[in-house]
Amino acid sequence: MTSVLVAEDDADVRDLVVFKLEQSGYEVHAVEDGPEALAAAKQHLPDVAVLDISMPGMSGLDVCRMLRADPATARMLIVMLTARAQETDVDKGFTAGADDYIVKPFSPRELVTRLHALQARARR
Amino acid sequence: MSALATAIFLVLFVVAAGVGTMIALVRGARHVRERRRARRAARPRRTLLAFAADGGDAERDELVRLPARDWRAVEPTVLELLAKVRGEARTALAEVFIRRGLVSRARRDLRRRGPVRRARAAGVLGSLGHRSAVPELCRLLLDPNPDVRVAAVHSLGRIADPAAAGPLLASLAAPNPAPSQLVAHSLIQLGPAAVPALVAALEEPTPLVRMTALDAVRLLGATVAEPEVAAVLRDDPSLEVRLRAVATLGRIGTRATMPHLLTACEPEQPAQLRAAAARALGELGVVAAVAPLQALLSSPDYRTGHEAAGALLRLGAGGAAALAEAATGTDRAAGHAREVLALADLQREYAESIPQWPAGVAQGA
Repeated sequence: MTSVLVAEDDADVRDLVVFKLEQSGYEVHAVEDGPEALAAAKQHLPDVAVLDISMPGMSGLDVCRMLRADPATARMLIVMLTARAQETDVDKGFTAGADDYIVKPFSPRELVTRLHALQARARR
Repeated sequence: MSALATAIFLVLFVVAAGVGTMIALVRGARHVRERRRARRAARPRRTLLAFAADGGDAERDELVRLPARDWRAVEPTVLELLAKVRGEARTALAEVFIRRGLVSRARRDLRRRGPVRRARAAGVLGSLGHRSAVPELCRLLLDPNPDVRVAAVHSLGRIADPAAAGPLLASLAAPNPAPSQLVAHSLIQLGPAAVPALVAALEEPTPLVRMTALDAVRLLGATVAEPEVAAVLRDDPSLEVRLRAVATLGRIGTRATMPHLLTACEPEQPAQLRAAAARALGELGVVAAVAPLQALLSSPDYRTGHEAAGALLRLGAGGAAALAEAATGTDRAAGHAREVLALADLQREYAESIPQWPAGVAQGA
């Protein structure tokens, strides 16, 4: 079973994403801030991380950079899920090492579709 | 301590203790209400999340049939989610509102005496994206209550019907309008279809209307409005409006914009305008601006020289070469050039210290 880390400080969005992913067959670990996200990623070594950018303690971009810098987590698939929609924000996300960048408002169904597609590409 | 002083002290102590106790009681009551609401919302919230995740009929029917008290507990969550999801999830949530009769009730509530109900109704209609409510929401832009006016502005932005552009701008000419930044944000949400109304507003008599229209043009990147914005820069009687026009041209302008900005840099223009125009030349990114900006480094006005140096830095190798040449001198121009080059070096050092994922490296390779 594919494991996913969800880092999102908005409780409603976090719970919705967790619900959708679990319904889609993923094992989900959910946290609500950047430092917890880093700790959970290193502890559970999920296959995928879904990160909000604006989080307390540490931004999702910094979490992404640190995951990429650590050999134990460098190969993790990372998806940013954020309300920051400017071109420069998207650029920063991919520069930090994200594999995909989804802007809110988002479609829960599309989120799952994108995760499936990322995993399929990673397996090839 | 005299008897009078003691009495005064005791009275003050009793008053302070009484106020403190009331504050504690009010907070305690609010805490108890919140916890009660959270408990009441817990089960319908699970149903709501399941429904938003998958749109199943069973969950939809359960939400439609929820008792009013339970729905009131979970409605804030529904409204929050409406703003954060799109596609099937959003459509499904909006349908629950419609089937509960809440859209009709919200439209009736727009005419209620109480401003809280009017504002709340405006918020609900905005969250649902209910286009047919736009005319009524436009009327609320002139509501006597400021919270209702703000709610109407927000909701018109969320509904994003370009027909609201004119009324949003016109509301800024009224006494005590909603904050112009909120109006600008809503105008941007209307998208490019609002640009004709924004351009028309550049001729309105109220400076705040013209400035807000310029802000929206700038943030929308509406290059098509460049001729009209250039005319505002040239002819508007208000310096504040001309400053907004300069900033807007820097953002939306093309090579054809450069002569207008150079005119704004001329010595007879106000110093603030010259500095803003120098900055805009850098944002425009046209290499032909290097020579005029290099001349502006020697401006007797500090701000103009400073902005000219910053603008040159944004013009690539040509601008950098002009700065390097100016930096060898001993005059005012050299000072500006050296300042901006030193700052650029520090920023580059900082950027290089942040770990970057190498571009072009395949994941998992």
